[in-house]
Amino acid sequence: MRNVGSMLSVEHHLALQQQLIREARLLDEESFDDWLALLNDDVRYRLPLAERRFRKDRSAPSELGSGYIFDDTKQRLRLRINRLQSGYLWAEDPRNCVRRVISNIEIWQADDNQAEVFSVVTIHRSRLDGFERQLTAGRRDRWQTTAAGWQLVLRDIQLDNAVVMDSNLNVFF
Amino acid sequence: MTEASTLVNPTAGTQRRKIYADPAVYQAEMARIFARCWLFLAHESQIPTAGDFFRTFMGEDEVLVVRQQDRSIKAFLNTCTHRGNRLVRADRGNGRAFTCNYHGWAFGIDGVLATVPLERDAYFNEIKKECHHLVTVERVESYHGLIFGCFDRDAPTLGDYLGDLRWYLEACLNSLPGGTELIGATQKVEIMANWKLPVENVCGDGYHLGWAHAGAMKAVQTLDLSGFTVGNTTVNLDGGISVAGLNGHSLLASLDGRSGYAFYPDPTLALKYLDDHRAQVVARLGKFRGEQLWGSQLNVTIFPNLQFLPGLNWLRIYHPKGPGKFEQWTWALVEKAMPDALKRQVLDNQLLTFGPAGLFDNDDGDNLAACTEQSRGWRTSQMEIFTHMAIGHSGTRPGLPGDIATGIISEHNQRYFYRRWQEHMAASNWAEVPQYNLNPRGAEHA
Repeated sequence: MRNVGSMLSVEHHLALQQQLIREARLLDEESFDDWLALLNDDVRYRLPLAERRFRKDRSAPSELGSGYIFDDTKQRLRLRINRLQSGYLWAEDPRNCVRRVISNIEIWQADDNQAEVFSVVTIHRSRLDGFERQLTAGRRDRWQTTAAGWQLVLRDIQLDNAVVMDSNLNVFF
Repeated sequence: MTEASTLVNPTAGTQRRKIYADPAVYQAEMARIFARCWLFLAHESQIPTAGDFFRTFMGEDEVLVVRQQDRSIKAFLNTCTHRGNRLVRADRGNGRAFTCNYHGWAFGIDGVLATVPLERDAYFNEIKKECHHLVTVERVESYHGLIFGCFDRDAPTLGDYLGDLRWYLEACLNSLPGGTELIGATQKVEIMANWKLPVENVCGDGYHLGWAHAGAMKAVQTLDLSGFTVGNTTVNLDGGISVAGLNGHSLLASLDGRSGYAFYPDPTLALKYLDDHRAQVVARLGKFRGEQLWGSQLNVTIFPNLQFLPGLNWLRIYHPKGPGKFEQWTWALVEKAMPDALKRQVLDNQLLTFGPAGLFDNDDGDNLAACTEQSRGWRTSQMEIFTHMAIGHSGTRPGLPGDIATGIISEHNQRYFYRRWQEHMAASNWAEVPQYNLNPRGAEHA
């Protein structure tokens, strides 16, 4: 991917980097309402389905698209959180250990008080007894600086597992 | 397998737990069920053009389904006939030939070995290429767009295999001209559970819906769904039927003609589509199928491992990967007559509810995995577990094929699923497998 522009000021850069790390901690701690507050009201949160195709594949792409594992607005993220907080989510009780590692953070100035941010997230999930899973994804974000601080406007997630090796994705990337 | 008759008791509704964990039982299933039954390969809409291929599995055998120049469909083992390397590593695509990565043997889309590198200089022109064509899946047939393959020459035709289930399938796959298509990419999820557990969960288990999915139902339900309540506190059985006794195939159906769309955040577009086309479907399929099945919440199971839910709009196959693991492959299933805007909404909603991060689907995996893991113990493997709800409360209904229980909360269909499992496991060939379509409708759809 090409270099997309100039650097932010050191202060902005540090604040945004801090925001990414804080976001990961809020999700690890299941502070979903605080996490939602980091998202712009018009946020788009997407994780497309991927297929393994030959580099020189000649077949036509699907007319209606491949579909998305997540294609969420703030309202739909709220819906998922309502389910997680419903008190009926037996698979999350007792609480499972989820830890996100955010790395390869690359921040560029973009238009309209926005920054384009690339990062890698590794999610470790430890559930019942010895059951562990690791999910790795690349992220391409747009963050916007507002009076309330940096807010997420767009997140495009690329999951590296062609077969999702887990019985649920009760997690956010 | 001689002990098959002791492993499950379909009349009492019990299963010995070793059938979910024992490697010997699993190996027998590969030989007696997956090598014998018609297995779903792909939908015709996935390989429309000559040279289009789709990579899938029949049991643990990897196969390539390929559209031929003459529009027919063939399926081959996805393995090079030279040293056994995997032939094609892409999920799907279009090709003029399939060339092995190992030594460069190249096969035509018809499976014929076309070129062998160094044929003259190293093989001295002595290789008999006609002996090394790709291994063809013996039987390939389609039913309203669904392509099935079968390794067993003695199997009944696909039509006879589906039997009287076809009367119900018409309402799912042939309600309107053009039939159905699968859209979007394949949604692949690996779950550490035995392959039979998701099949029984979807084929007949309406019981878990109000409890296992309580969180999701509380969050998203927009239409009434056959008298369910969150938390399984009350139930109204009048609104549905469980249909089995059809060669191991089965159907759950609400009968309201609309609750298939109960989990759509906004079902307006879907309900308008149903209203606009209802009269046409009734004209094609009659009052019962047109008014009470089409648009309803339906769970269709084709033995052993294919299921689809028109309305919720997904089609899914479970590929076994050893006794304690399967991969589920899911697609969005739409009717071709739907406007594109509705098709997009179906794809979006199917992924929201039953995709890899599906609000409902994500409730099932851990339960199925735990049922499997818990069957591995020395003591638990000898235990029996139960599908004995509402035994003796089924019967016939005029005009409807099958043995029918009232409501979609009963364990009626699961008992027939395990009965069919036992019949196959006890039989050493197709001649020993009983064929039955209880309360048949006769020859009208033969």
